Amino acid sequence: MPIIVNLDVMMAKRKMSLNELSEKVDLTLANLSILKTGKAKAIRFSTLEAICQALDCQPGDLLEYSKE
Amino acid sequence: MEITTKRTLNVLLILSWIIFVGVCVEAGGFIVNAFFALVNPAVVKHLWHEADLSALLQYDVWYFFAEMLLMSVVAVLKAWLFYLIIKIMHDKNFNLVQPFNKEVRRFIFNIACITFMIGLFSWWGVKYTDWLVGQGVAMPDVQYLRLGGADVWLFMSVTLFVIGQIFKRGVEIQAENELTI
Repeated sequence: MPIIVNLDVMMAKRKMSLNELSEKVDLTLANLSILKTGKAKAIRFSTLEAICQALDCQPGDLLEYSKE
Repeated sequence: MEITTKRTLNVLLILSWIIFVGVCVEAGGFIVNAFFALVNPAVVKHLWHEADLSALLQYDVWYFFAEMLLMSVVAVLKAWLFYLIIKIMHDKNFNLVQPFNKEVRRFIFNIACITFMIGLFSWWGVKYTDWLVGQGVAMPDVQYLRLGGADVWLFMSVTLFVIGQIFKRGVEIQAENELTI
């Protein structure tokens, strides 16, 4: 998919673990893992908002478009 | 007593088992009859008689064999159809929480193919029987030969193919839904 999720990059920048993020955004580790590994087909605005709030970033920091 | 989906499925499973046993006996009866009619015709009168094809056997052995083959193929396909229905109901893949999965889609496609083949062979059998009647052979009614209802089987197969296509889209939507975070 040409949309790349840079969740791992932002987590590294904020020095936040997956467990910590999972607790803050109230998502399961399995779902966060799907998002992190780029297997997700879609993301809800509510999830995006929660992640942006937890990582103090913009949606553009998490998502990137790249031509395949 | 509330009629739940689980209870309905249990009733359908029992019915499917009864029909499966019935069509297996029917298929076995046709095959055994055909075998003994060709090997030792004297024994046939002591066997199970669903349809009297003695006139056809006297007319021509190969025509008799072809008719029995068509009847047996239809009976075996019906048994296979009900075997698949019983199998999917016993299988863990039949999940009512997430019903749109690849196994169920494959099951619908398989039963659509089998019903199409039953319809095709039944239609062929009816045409063949009509032709034999035209040749002056005394033949029983197609209902007794278990070849009736070809059009219904074909209609059912078309309907199942359409449901299969809808299921295909359902599987995609369910997968997308599961991967929406």
